[in-house]
Amino acid sequence: MDKEALKELLFKMADDQLVLGHRNSEWTGLGPMLEEDIAFSSMAQDKIGHSYAMYSLLNELGERDPDTLAFLRNANNFKNSLMCELPNNEYEFSLMRHLLFDFAELIRFESLASSAYKPLQIIARKIKTELLYHTMHGKSMVKKLAGANPESKAKMQASLIYMLPFALGIFEHSPYENELIDLEIFEGEDAIKEKWFIKVNEFFNLTDLDLPDVTQLKPEYGGRTGKHTKHLQALIDEMSEVIKLDPDAEW
Amino acid sequence: MKSLDPRVNRLPSDDSSVAKPKEPLDQLATFEVFLKKSEKRLMEHVGIVHGADEEIAFLFAKEQFSRRYTCIEMWIVKSSNTFATGYTEADVSVYDSIKHIDGVANEEYCIFHLLRRGKQHVFAGTVEAESVEHALSKAKKSLGDTQVFNIWVVKSSDLHKWSQKELWETLPDKGFRDALAYRAGDKLKDYLNERKNG
Repeated sequence: MDKEALKELLFKMADDQLVLGHRNSEWTGLGPMLEEDIAFSSMAQDKIGHSYAMYSLLNELGERDPDTLAFLRNANNFKNSLMCELPNNEYEFSLMRHLLFDFAELIRFESLASSAYKPLQIIARKIKTELLYHTMHGKSMVKKLAGANPESKAKMQASLIYMLPFALGIFEHSPYENELIDLEIFEGEDAIKEKWFIKVNEFFNLTDLDLPDVTQLKPEYGGRTGKHTKHLQALIDEMSEVIKLDPDAEW
Repeated sequence: MKSLDPRVNRLPSDDSSVAKPKEPLDQLATFEVFLKKSEKRLMEHVGIVHGADEEIAFLFAKEQFSRRYTCIEMWIVKSSNTFATGYTEADVSVYDSIKHIDGVANEEYCIFHLLRRGKQHVFAGTVEAESVEHALSKAKKSLGDTQVFNIWVVKSSDLHKWSQKELWETLPDKGFRDALAYRAGDKLKDYLNERKNG
């Protein structure tokens, strides 16, 4: 087994989940209505839970403990896609990011549920069931808001156009694509992207929104190789403020 | 009864046998949420959520009411499609005042009972009837041999059901959502002891 390739895969997934989970948790207490606040916070917590599972696998492969991996690395060591680190804007921004990301995440973990790496396979089966609800939530909310009134439609449309190039950045290749595919650990970003295109097309055809030809857009790459926006270091600093006060504290 | 005192306006109406639609609250429409904790438990009412429709209400209800504890099925019905009788006191059952009505058995209705004051309504069974009043009358015959403080009647076709068990599959792994998991009390006690002794 190619340990470096496997670690690379786990790191990028864990970092995506941790960073987006943290971003989405920033809505806690500020959500548009109480019920949605709770639902969105709950899904953010799931995301952090997924990242914990990934960091734990890394720990078993010889990396440091999950808390250290999550809180005590610098931004240039993070492998998350740029989409996840963008600061929150209006709610439709976060909602659209949540849907586009989790479409890809569901496809990814459905695929990993038959990974040749057994420990990942077992966890993927759990994660994909949680993503069922996440995508159900994203689809219903986006569809409803896209058709509610001209203002909500315009907001959803604008956030879709803004977010698509960043969403394509999810599928940026890692240096180990071929190794992972050959070892049947992961079927590769291109395969996930093809299925994502189909899913996204199917879904937006059912809404009042116009989906541009996504194959013609220029993806926002960089995240997977550690080239981040300035927003990521700020997020990590805030996230690790407590642990840095006393890294050995027992929780 | 017209009064400026809210306590007076909350008094039950004189005739508890008449089932009236529940009043909607503010903002978006409200929806009643029922859930089943396990195969052995009855479907029971757990609360109310706002929503644009039943689908959105379910999304909200799922995290509102089945975030921590087990759940295998959830039902959602619009509050205005939930018909509630008045409440009775002590050893009087609502069924005592339900009158017999004849009718055609052309639609299914679900009956929910409040068996103890301060507890939740639980699913009691279904009856075939042509109206809410008729459903109550039929329920008195088939389900009315227990003491019931309040009855809700819902047309089965108004109930939206989610029974995809996968949705709740990982709940047992989420013990961390319960404050108890952090044993904060124990840690505080240890800390205070340490301070006292050291």
